[in-house]
Amino acid sequence: MGSSEQIDRVTDLRAWPGEFPVSHLYTMGIAGERFFRELKDNGRFLGSRCAACDHVYLPPSIFCPRCFAALDEWKEVGPQGTVRAVTTAHRGVDGTTLKTPETLALIQLDGADDLLTHRIKESEGLEIGARVAPVLKETPEREGSILDVRYFRAV
Amino acid sequence: MRKVAVVGAGLTRFMRRAQETGPELAWLAASQALESCGLGLKDVDSVAIGTAPDAFDGVHMKGEYLAPGAGGWGRPVTRPYAGGGTGVLVPIHAWFNVASGLFDVCLVVAEEKMSTCHPHPQGAFVTIFDNILERPLEPNLIWIFALEMQRYMDTYGITKEEIALVSVKNKRNGLDHPSTHVAEEITVKDVMESEVMVSPVNRLDVSPVSDGAAAIVLVSEDVARRISDNPVWIDGIGWNLDTAYWTNRDLAYPSYVERAARMAYKMAGITEPRKQINVVEPYDPFSYKELHHLEGLLLCDKGQAAKITADGVTQRNGDMPVSPSGGLLGVGNPIAAAGLMKVAEIFWQLRGEAGRRQVPGQPKVGLAQAWGDLMQVGTVVVMRVD
Ligand SMILES: [Zn+2]
Repeated sequence: MGSSEQIDRVTDLRAWPGEFPVSHLYTMGIAGERFFRELKDNGRFLGSRCAACDHVYLPPSIFCPRCFAALDEWKEVGPQGTVRAVTTAHRGVDGTTLKTPETLALIQLDGADDLLTHRIKESEGLEIGARVAPVLKETPEREGSILDVRYFRAV
Repeated sequence: MRKVAVVGAGLTRFMRRAQETGPELAWLAASQALESCGLGLKDVDSVAIGTAPDAFDGVHMKGEYLAPGAGGWGRPVTRPYAGGGTGVLVPIHAWFNVASGLFDVCLVVAEEKMSTCHPHPQGAFVTIFDNILERPLEPNLIWIFALEMQRYMDTYGITKEEIALVSVKNKRNGLDHPSTHVAEEITVKDVMESEVMVSPVNRLDVSPVSDGAAAIVLVSEDVARRISDNPVWIDGIGWNLDTAYWTNRDLAYPSYVERAARMAYKMAGITEPRKQINVVEPYDPFSYKELHHLEGLLLCDKGQAAKITADGVTQRNGDMPVSPSGGLLGVGNPIAAAGLMKVAEIFWQLRGEAGRRQVPGQPKVGLAQAWGDLMQVGTVVVMRVD
């Protein structure tokens, strides 16, 4: 009887199996809707600027979290940018080993003050400071998702 | 402890499905609350955020997620939590921030976005039940309310028609609220003939699933005197938790609400609540809950809330107006935001700023209350205007 350390198989415990029976539909929001429509329809990245704080938000925001101003100055940023951090993942979302390691980077699109996370491919030995450009899906395949950007690669 | 006042309030529309993200909803309410009292984000010293289970929005660390829209960026932020009771627990928590002397201005923001949750928020509610004893029975949250409602009706000999009067009143009151998405003119017959969800609970006995946000601004006495001609003082706060085993308590009477009320009354110097409290916003997610809570709040004798409702005492122009906002039944129920909406309503009522919802007679003292978790928590604030 007693502590779980003495039990090798969890099925030896009297337990009732359970799950959290919910899934979610996340709206993109007012600013997000505009960002993803622009990406889908025109293949462009939109930020929003707070003049008072001199900050270009990416993804854009309808308000400035620093000063609470309503933001309506939309500004095209990118598409090229600079790598600010880069890593190669060998473990995936469930902790198992990936068949093909995946390279991920924090990218500062030209004209934006914030960073965007995305995949990097076709870019051997990429380092901080490297210049990268997005590879987009073709227009008919784009659906207004961050995956409309297939990946970034070195230029 | 220092005196604490409410000086501003803001509220979004309540909606079935908001396009806005949670932080966008929070910002709409929070920026409106600050603007209403002439303050800016730079004046805010601390932020208290209220929001019910993370599973609704499908975002863990939901307080942190909402913080940018709640003014929490670069500030001391906390998120108290008591399920459905959160909407009134968060101003109680904010009261500590200011009464303690730590902060002069605390921005209080509550948000809920239940439409994110699919197929229905019941999937999230189900995990508040005992995982071994009750979940194998596949309970729906309304089951336990149906059983509690039956204990209440049987104990005091109350009929469903009497209880339906609460829905009729609150949905009518809600017609005057700009944030409503469920107000309508209905009759007792409409309630009785609406779809049976879990007997004796019919469709029109239940508040909806909603999205929305609410915010208020709490300040110290010094700040209140400086920026406001008519601050609303928080005179009393109270909260109380009953056993988590809902089968082990008296379902006919919410004694935890009574204990929370007694705590708030003692602090506010209220000895005769029925005479001293002029306007009441009790939590009304179900029609019978308004009655249940009025009794727990000692605002009428046990089993008598249905009678005073039938006699018109709780109408806006009655001797003790109850849910003049329209409440959760008449405005909507974005859980934590709905509770804070009730506090905002008392603020507007005591300032004479409730517009078409204004109760007559210049009320001086009001009370807001919320309730939740596995129907075992009561949260109460008593507010007063000079
Ligand atoms: Zn700004």
